Formats: sequence, structure tokens, C-alpha cells
Amino acid sequence: MSLRTLLYSFSQGIQNLFKNGWMSVVSVMTIAVNVFVIVVFYTVVTNIGFMMTEFEKNIGVAVFFQDDTTEAQILELKAMMEKRSEVYRVEYISAEAAWESFKDKYFGQRQELLAGFGEDNPLAKSASLQISLADISKQGTLVQVLKSEPIVRYVRETRDVTYVVEALNKLVTYVSIGLLIILILLALFLISNTIRLAVTLRNEEISIMRYIGARNMMIRGPFLVEGILIGLIGASIPLVLFYYTYPEVVLQIQKSYAILSDYLIFLSRERILQILIPIALGSGAGIGYMGSRITVGKYLKV
Amino acid sequence: MIRLENVTKEYPGGVKALDQVSFKINKGEFVFIVGDSGSGKTTLFKLLLREIEASSGAIYIEDVDIARIHKSKVPKLRRSLGVVFQDFRLLKDRTVYENVAFALEVTETPKSVIRKTVPALLNMVGLKGYEKKKPNQLSGGEQQRVALARALANNPPILLADEPTGNLDPQRSWAIINLLKDINLRGTTVVVITHDREIVNTMKKRVITIQNGRIARDDTRGEYWHELTHSTI
Repeated sequence: MSLRTLLYSFSQGIQNLFKNGWMSVVSVMTIAVNVFVIVVFYTVVTNIGFMMTEFEKNIGVAVFFQDDTTEAQILELKAMMEKRSEVYRVEYISAEAAWESFKDKYFGQRQELLAGFGEDNPLAKSASLQISLADISKQGTLVQVLKSEPIVRYVRETRDVTYVVEALNKLVTYVSIGLLIILILLALFLISNTIRLAVTLRNEEISIMRYIGARNMMIRGPFLVEGILIGLIGASIPLVLFYYTYPEVVLQIQKSYAILSDYLIFLSRERILQILIPIALGSGAGIGYMGSRITVGKYLKV
Repeated sequence: MIRLENVTKEYPGGVKALDQVSFKINKGEFVFIVGDSGSGKTTLFKLLLREIEASSGAIYIEDVDIARIHKSKVPKLRRSLGVVFQDFRLLKDRTVYENVAFALEVTETPKSVIRKTVPALLNMVGLKGYEKKKPNQLSGGEQQRVALARALANNPPILLADEPTGNLDPQRSWAIINLLKDINLRGTTVVVITHDREIVNTMKKRVITIQNGRIARDDTRGEYWHELTHSTI
């Protein structure tokens, strides 16, 4: 496309946008609604994903050892575990640390009750490795590996929780992919119809351009620019809405479900926008462009 | 300039719109093409613009076989043919100036050239001072003048006019025909498809008569063929 064609397409595309008035508004709103759904959807999916990852990090397996296991052996196993890809984090809790934590948790302010224990550590044999998983579906395999280690006495796993989280994760992924495909098809259909109407309204102009000897790109250009502009403007509306409403929505959810505050950890607005801006503008412009291209193409059979 | 060699156009369903049509129009000629409705005039018009392609035979415009040019070169071909229609086909939401400038803009003419050319064209068709008017503020004759200015914007060697006076009263019709005569005198080849017997008979120009898809007559200083006139009106 030559610079002159590009400039002409831009100026005409913008002029057409204003000249079409209500038609443009309808098209922009169509894209806005579609991108809005994508925005809401993306926000929900990423946040659920994020919550699950956080949740997964907190559930995992606890490994306890035979009585004669030395700290060096435990640390060796720890190092081995840390090399595994499905392992997110391994924490070594020595018998002393376990006792300290126990004392804090159960005796708290009433330290005088502990006097009877003196220097004894009733949890002397309870040194453990707390393993959090990056990928919860691999828990079964990991437990097998751990159980085959001679120094391991007992592995405590959270099998039921694991299953639920795993199932939820899969469900969210499948539903998201399915819905996203439906939404994109719907958006394409709607914008294609809108541009078809716009092109029909300007059928006269297109036919004159062809008689005059305008090149195809010159005829298509303004409509493509118009489609892309409609897409970009349409996509910006839900982005602005998101920017102003997201923090408030998060706050309201956290307030309403205070009891679940440990699990309701939301991604920050900025972090979501980093991905959401390109997704929204890209899909808006893409849908606008595709819609225009499909429709204008039909009128340009030379 | 324009040469047709045994051109046949058959539409799907076996309807022959043109049958073995051959003629030659030389540079600088003024030619009327007359014929009944459905005689094949419109098909001829579309063939010359390569909007449709001939079923057989060849069409040459400025010695180029238009069936053989690549699709991407069709716009270039069309720039050598200025076109005027019975219904003017002006853009109603644009001013007179913008309508004429449109032909130059879409053929990628620099702005500086457009600014000089449009007033000169409007002056030529007698519409100086009408720049800011919209088509609906003009009479039919004035609208056809705008269409003529637009058709001439790219300085085409050939001007094709399809029933240019079809929507005009006799007085305005003559004004347009005189303008076409002027344009022809400046060197442009002018081809006018018309039904207007009085104009054809008065002008004493070459007349090609098409009947049932065939060339019925080709008279150098022709008149509207009587029998044809009879059957048309």
C-alpha cells in the first residue's frame, strides 16, 4: 500500500466513521459488548487460575522419617525433591522448629503451662519435609517416589483436595476455551453484518470508484481502516470500564466472602492489564479488520 | 482506439446479448450507439469497462486486448475511459467540488494537482461558483455537468456516456450534448449511447445501430433509423 493510499484510507476511514453516525455507534457498541465479555471472562479465568495456583502451593505432601534418619539424609532428599519440575517448594521443618511452632500455636500467651516440658522436645522424631506442588496432578507420582525412599516413614497427602482442585482446573480450562471460541465467532458474525450494512450503504460509492479506475486497495482501504477503528474504539470502552471498576469489584467480593479471605487472592489491576490491553485491542482490531475484509471482498469482484 | 472483433456475449441460460459484433471507433470520433432496450447496448458498455468478459471475440482499447490484461491492471484500463450515466451517480453527501475531486483522490493524484484541476474542470463544464453546493441543490442538467467533470478528471482519451440526456428536458439535453461536442473537439473520443432521436438526427454524426445483439447499421453521417425509432417509441 502506497503512502498516499494509506493516508487516503485513514482520512476517509475516519470521515466515514463520523458520517455514518449511528451505524458507527452501533458497530462500536457491538464490539464493546463482545470485548467486554472477553474482558470479564479473561479476568475471571486468570483470577481463578491464580487462586488455584496459590491454593495448590498451600496444599501438598508432608514427609516424615524413620527414627534413625539424620538431618543430612533429610537435606539430601530435600535437594533431590527441589530438582523435580512438579515441585514448587520444599521446606525442611526440624524437630525443634516443629516444637516451637506447636508451642506458639497451642500455648500462645500461656507459656507457663510449658514449664513441665523443660528442655524436652516431645516432637523429637517429627522432623519433616513440607512439599508444595507446582502441578497438583503429579501428586500421585511424587508420593510413590517418596514412599520408595528407605528413610521415609510416612507420607501425608491431601488426596481429596487434590482431586477437587484438579477437576476444577480442568473444568475452568475447557469451559473457557469453549466459550471463547463461541464468543469470537459471534463477534465476527456481528461485525461482519455491521460492515456489510455499511458497505451496502456505500455501494454507490464503491461502484463509482470502480468505474473511475481506483485500485482495489484504494477501495478496500477506507473500509478496513473503518473496521479497525471501530474495533479499537469498541475495545477501549470495556478496558476503561475495567480500569475503574475492577478494584471496587474485588473489594466487594472480599468483603462479602470474608470467611474465604485466605483463598480469595486476586491479581492486581496492573498485572491483568498487562495482558488484557493487547488481548482486548488485538481482538477488537482483529474482529473489525476481519469483518470488513470478508464483507468488502464480496463487492470487489473486478 | 476502440476495436471489437466478432464479439459475442452469452449469458448463463443461453441468452445471447451480443452476437458477432465488430466495429472500430477511431481516435477523435464522435459516435452514437442506438438500439432498443435489451438490444445489447448495456452489455457492450459493461464489456468495454471489463465489468464482464466476452464469451468469444476480442475487444481492443488503444490496441490492448482487454481480455488479456491482468486483473490488477483493470483499474488502469478504466482510467482511460471516462464514464457518464443517465442517473448521474453523484455522491449525495458531498459537494460539487468533492465529487469531482473524488475521481482524482481515488486515483492517487497529489493534493496540489487536485486543487488546480478541479476548478479548471468545473469552469469547463460551466459550473464555476457551484463548488460548495450539494447535488440535491442542482438541476438535472447541472448534476450531469458535475458527472462530466468527474468523468474527465483523469483526462481519459475516451468518454463513454450511457443515456446522458435520458433524465433531462430538451433544452438541458442540448446543453449537455454541446458540452460533449466541445469535449470531442478538444480531442477526446466520445461514445454516446442514446434513445434521443432528435439529437441523433440533428448532430449528423456516426451512428451504430444495434438490434437483437447484432450491428444492424453503421452510418458515417447517420440518422436514427426510422424502423427502429418506430419500434422504440
